[in-house]
Amino acid sequence: MRLIRPYLLILPAFLLAFLVIAIPFADIARTATHEVSRFGILIRFNGADNLLKVFRDPLFQSSLLRTLWWTLFVVAGTNLVSLPVAILLNQKFYGRAIARAIVMLPWSVSLTMMAVVWRWTFNAEYGMLNSVLERFGIISAPVAWLAQSELAFPIEIIVGILVSIPFTTTIYMGGLSSLPEEIYEAARLEGASILRQFFYLTLPLIRPFVNIAIVLNVIYVFSSFPIIWVLTEGGPADGTQILVTYLYKLAFRLGRIGDAAAVSLIMLAILLVFTIIYLRTQEKEQGA
Amino acid sequence: MINRPYLKRSLTIWLILSPLLIAILFPFIVMFLTSIKPRSEVFSYPPKWFPSTVRWQNFVDMWQAVGFGPALWNSLLVSVGTTILVLVVSVPAAYALARFKFRAKTLFRQFLLGTQMLSPIVLVLGLFHLAVAIGMVDNKYALILFYAAFNITFAVWMLQSYFNAIPVELEEAAFIDGCSRWNAVLCVFIPLALPALVVTSVFTFINSWNEFVVALTLLRSEENFTLPLKIFSLVGGRYSVEWEQVMAAVLLATLPVAVVFTWLQKYLMRGMMMGAIK
Repeated sequence: MRLIRPYLLILPAFLLAFLVIAIPFADIARTATHEVSRFGILIRFNGADNLLKVFRDPLFQSSLLRTLWWTLFVVAGTNLVSLPVAILLNQKFYGRAIARAIVMLPWSVSLTMMAVVWRWTFNAEYGMLNSVLERFGIISAPVAWLAQSELAFPIEIIVGILVSIPFTTTIYMGGLSSLPEEIYEAARLEGASILRQFFYLTLPLIRPFVNIAIVLNVIYVFSSFPIIWVLTEGGPADGTQILVTYLYKLAFRLGRIGDAAAVSLIMLAILLVFTIIYLRTQEKEQGA
Repeated sequence: MINRPYLKRSLTIWLILSPLLIAILFPFIVMFLTSIKPRSEVFSYPPKWFPSTVRWQNFVDMWQAVGFGPALWNSLLVSVGTTILVLVVSVPAAYALARFKFRAKTLFRQFLLGTQMLSPIVLVLGLFHLAVAIGMVDNKYALILFYAAFNITFAVWMLQSYFNAIPVELEEAAFIDGCSRWNAVLCVFIPLALPALVVTSVFTFINSWNEFVVALTLLRSEENFTLPLKIFSLVGGRYSVEWEQVMAAVLLATLPVAVVFTWLQKYLMRGMMMGAIK
């Protein structure tokens, strides 16, 4: 009894997570290696045919490339904003609780609903963004923001950054509050400027948190779906398609089930690499 | 007396933060102002910021026109159901991780970490096939099962980090006083763990409340739609959108959750830091 008790306790959690994740996983692996009818019926085993077909698809290639840009820009932007913001929010100042609450606000709101509101804000004719920009003389005529992918994609990146800031800032605030105050006092006594303190003290000390924030962000942003789906559904003319929206379109719009499963498999492989990197980073931090 | 350097510093910090704060608040202001505008002013060019009259009637109209009530009920049902299921399976697991030494401990942790890396969208095709196989397509209760599975990791992490902080001596004392292990847990441990349970519940609830991809894939008939899906259906693929109603719906769907989140933010963040980092 003593020996199996912990196993009995973890069993329900394990079973639920395992079944809901492992069965779909196996299903995807099976579907990806079969020829599949439009209605999802497996016709015959065809090995890597689906994968090869997907790799040759120009839309897959462009979506993959765009996913890399999307992930790179959102993660870089988020971290570049979040670290200074976390440093500021860790200072003592009037109204700090309010400032913190505002920065954390997007966290509680569904990405879908957030994107719906942004879609209205960016509306070409009646949207408030055009109205504000015209008022300040930044643009002279209304801009159809979401009607061209050259504009829509950068906008989606900015929205992506805004919604990723709360989580990232939280990680940094946790990291910053673990730093010893004495070293800063010593640095001040030695006459180190604020910038020097940042580059020679804060940055090296907070390094482990930067690593974790970046890897976790990469994993989340890489498979983030609602912003692009709600704002442009990957369009216009597939110009904002990333892997997740492409995958969804293949599976549930075009009925190319086998190809969709192949894309899933590729994404899972990429995520596995990210996960291994994450585990390595954590191990290193714990070892040090 | 006002501390002058402190005031100056505060103003500087607010000034530096202001572009970000404005960018974050902008959509919320747009949401609110649109939701109280008369329809004619929502679609007037050039757009005006403030309505000539405040039209709360939009909320009433919206409630009836879009079927907000049923969607709200579905969201509540799914989110409460998910939260309960997650607690039922995660509390024992977290307790085991916090209190027992066992062989598969590391393995179980790694398994949890692995599942955390998979978002539902990557598995969406397989999830759909699973729902077909168990006959639960277009069934909102299937969402409870799926959401719970994807929330276990976070819940276990968070709970475990709190459980670790509860001194084991308290349970042992109850033990020695003649309580059974089960009673010790029930009478001593659970009351102490209550804050952890609350934080985990709120987090799970919000996650389920906001989920989109799985709902979009599994639910077909409108009477089963949860709020995010309902609101998306008012906007996606439509020729004319009643934006004042959409914004009223978003506001109602968002506000209660945002208020609770802001209220409990301190605890959520503490749990996050302990859970995710350590």
